[in-house]
Amino acid sequence: MGAAAKRQKREEFRKKIAAATAETARDGSACPVGSVLNLPQKKYYRQRAHANPFSDHMLSYPLSPAHMDWATHFPVYVNPDPTQTNASGARKLLKEVEVVDIGCGFGGLLVGLAPVLPDTLMVGMEIRIQVAEYLTNRIHALRHQQHNLLLHKTPSSTPATPEPLREQTPPAAPSTPDSPSETSFPTSVIPGGYNNITALRANTMKFFPNFFARHQLSKIFICFPDPHFKARKHKARIVSETLNAEYAYALRPGGLLYTITDVEEYHYWILRHFGYQGPQDGEGGEGNEDQAGHGGVEGLFERLTQEELDGDECVRVMMDSTEEGKKVTRNKGNKYVAVFRRREDPAWPL
Amino acid sequence: MAENFQHPFQGIQFVKRKNGASKDVLVASAGANLYSYAVESGQRLSVWPQDGADIATVNDTGSKLEHEGPPEKKRKVDSSENATKTAPAKKAAIWSHIPILASTPDGEYVVALTGEDKCIRVFQIEEDGSFQQLSARPMPKRPCSITFMDENDILIGDKFGDVYSMPLIPSATPRAVPRAPGQIKPRQPAATNLTVHTQRNLKSLEMQQQQLADKVNKAKDEDKPTFEHQLLLGHVSLLTDVAFVSLPSPDPSSARKRGYILSADRDEHIRVSRGPPQAHVIENYCLGHSSFISKLCVPQWAPEYLISGGGDPHLLVWNWVASQILQKVPLVAPTPEPKDVAVRGIWASSLSLDNSHPIHLVLVALEGNPTLQSFTLGPDGALTPHNTIKTTSNILDVQIRPEINTVLISVDCIREPGSTEDWQSAPASSSTLLEAYCLKQGNGTLEWEPVTDALINSVNAAGTSNVASDAEQKAKTALNNSLYGLENLRKAFREEDAGSVL
Repeated sequence: MGAAAKRQKREEFRKKIAAATAETARDGSACPVGSVLNLPQKKYYRQRAHANPFSDHMLSYPLSPAHMDWATHFPVYVNPDPTQTNASGARKLLKEVEVVDIGCGFGGLLVGLAPVLPDTLMVGMEIRIQVAEYLTNRIHALRHQQHNLLLHKTPSSTPATPEPLREQTPPAAPSTPDSPSETSFPTSVIPGGYNNITALRANTMKFFPNFFARHQLSKIFICFPDPHFKARKHKARIVSETLNAEYAYALRPGGLLYTITDVEEYHYWILRHFGYQGPQDGEGGEGNEDQAGHGGVEGLFERLTQEELDGDECVRVMMDSTEEGKKVTRNKGNKYVAVFRRREDPAWPL
Repeated sequence: MAENFQHPFQGIQFVKRKNGASKDVLVASAGANLYSYAVESGQRLSVWPQDGADIATVNDTGSKLEHEGPPEKKRKVDSSENATKTAPAKKAAIWSHIPILASTPDGEYVVALTGEDKCIRVFQIEEDGSFQQLSARPMPKRPCSITFMDENDILIGDKFGDVYSMPLIPSATPRAVPRAPGQIKPRQPAATNLTVHTQRNLKSLEMQQQQLADKVNKAKDEDKPTFEHQLLLGHVSLLTDVAFVSLPSPDPSSARKRGYILSADRDEHIRVSRGPPQAHVIENYCLGHSSFISKLCVPQWAPEYLISGGGDPHLLVWNWVASQILQKVPLVAPTPEPKDVAVRGIWASSLSLDNSHPIHLVLVALEGNPTLQSFTLGPDGALTPHNTIKTTSNILDVQIRPEINTVLISVDCIREPGSTEDWQSAPASSSTLLEAYCLKQGNGTLEWEPVTDALINSVNAAGTSNVASDAEQKAKTALNNSLYGLENLRKAFREEDAGSVL
């Protein structure tokens, strides 16, 4: 198939999905008889694995966290009081977003975490526009599917699920997923019904503080970040001492920052940039090439012990549920995990 | 003489002497040179770099330091540059302009950034007004802002978004070379056959490992900045301005002031961080601009306020500790077709007319514009507009002399007023480089009166260096860009990107 034909096919598919998504969004949750909202297929959303974080792109981002419209992302959690609006006039939520997956990719972590933290609002941020679009459609389809499942069972049987605040519509046609989707729909009702996860396109290296206020977050995930192997590209790495200061700003004291990578050198880079020295004669050690160990950001984080990691369900999801994690397992690669806890801000020097 | 333009002053700076004997000096940068003038008489005291021999010595020290400096970005001009350095006879043209000029609060030292070589040069102004270069430190990336912290440490924000501090006077002993003791290990490829899988990636990995094996014998030292410098914080953006502010501690038992670093970038952020050694603690962000930010101004008499401006047609006044917008001050009259404006500079000073209460003056100039807007800042942080100052040409830099209630303005004598590109058809018979305006108390508003004193007259008469009026378009564009770069900060979206979703 020629490249042009391929592109056309992609566009057609994505247009179709967008239309179906818009339709189901418009008439609440009822699904027209005979049409089932299928999971999107990854092959129509492939994009080059790297994006230049320094370029301007065509990003939309809020002026400040107070201007962010989360209501469209979490319709189930919108505050029923319509007078409760934020700085841009958007409806407020009943609770704040407090978990972020930076570089969420196709969303394996979010979908895996959704039932683990069913009452926590989570957002995945991805710089690649088509990948973010895929995940948005995927989450929409998953929510839709859950909704249909709920209608078939007795809604009261799932107390963990927040009751949708929209009016209940009559039962829709039986959903029979006949799509050639790569991820089969879960056939059981999932706590939270995927209403607690969302995705958006953003460049977090530049605009993280536009989305999240000081101490808003309880968890940040950085899973299998782009390793940027070349030394002259290291400035583009998502973990660095200067960026860690921004993560510390958004994390509340006691909050956790999870990292996982399959690149050993990057693992030691992460440790160094959080103030933990890697092996002195380490394979990954590269002298003083980077500016690690200077800014004192290490005072803001402490590393979790192995026992603490073993007891954390999120670590398990991070190891096994992410797309990249599965790929590394397939290729029999190594996975390096490091989790850091945000300390209290130090006292001002007296 | 008449066929040539004069280089306008890109930066002007009063240097006040605290030790009574020496007289105040006006330092100005034009083209590739620094000039010093006696403030009383306007007599030119010195030019740096001096013609002939002095250049050679300056460049000798420069090149020596440069050699120890950070690895320079590989540029085509490198070889030719080295050639000019080794040939001391010719007037070296390593830099063509001096974009940043600053002086320490105590007036002891002048710091200048030379354009193309990205060198931070610290000068002492001698008794006779001559320049004594104390150090030249080449930075890895182009600095965009230079300011000073307590104890005169230099604070630098650069094009890569990093903020560095370094001592004004580098310590005599160079920094103990690498932090990691011992030899620098040759770099191992970070990728392994566990992390790359495709055929071509595996092949290139193999080649990297092969190269590494070849390189082991001839391990070479990586050149890193050997002068003392410290990375304090970083934005993933182009930094445009940096300010250091000290506030008294809210804790009454502590006499120690709290230092803050305010850093502004091209992506509309103003970050408020603690001063060193806690610069990694971000206190808050001042978010409210919708275009790039170019200037931050914290008035000395009211350090709790911040006035910021940039590519928006308004200024914002902040209570920056609480990241709260106090006022949005329009800079242009609303028109149906708004034209892009950019704030070139914001200057604040406290003046007093006939012993009455002080006038807290704030002046604002737009890029490529001959009008200087004047405001007063009230005790509640409200900016009130007053009469503007109309100069003969585009405003480049402003200095306020509170002692005599006068504003000194350097104007662009080459370009047409209101344009950053179009040159005047012919040079005026006598170039106007500086203009001065004196504050008069009007009827409830401030009024400005042009003055010509000895300083203005002799500086304008002496001129600077020549710019050929028939220069080629390419040379003209280069000169334009060296003076007017703010519009480059504005974001332009590519068509393909705009065409896609969102």
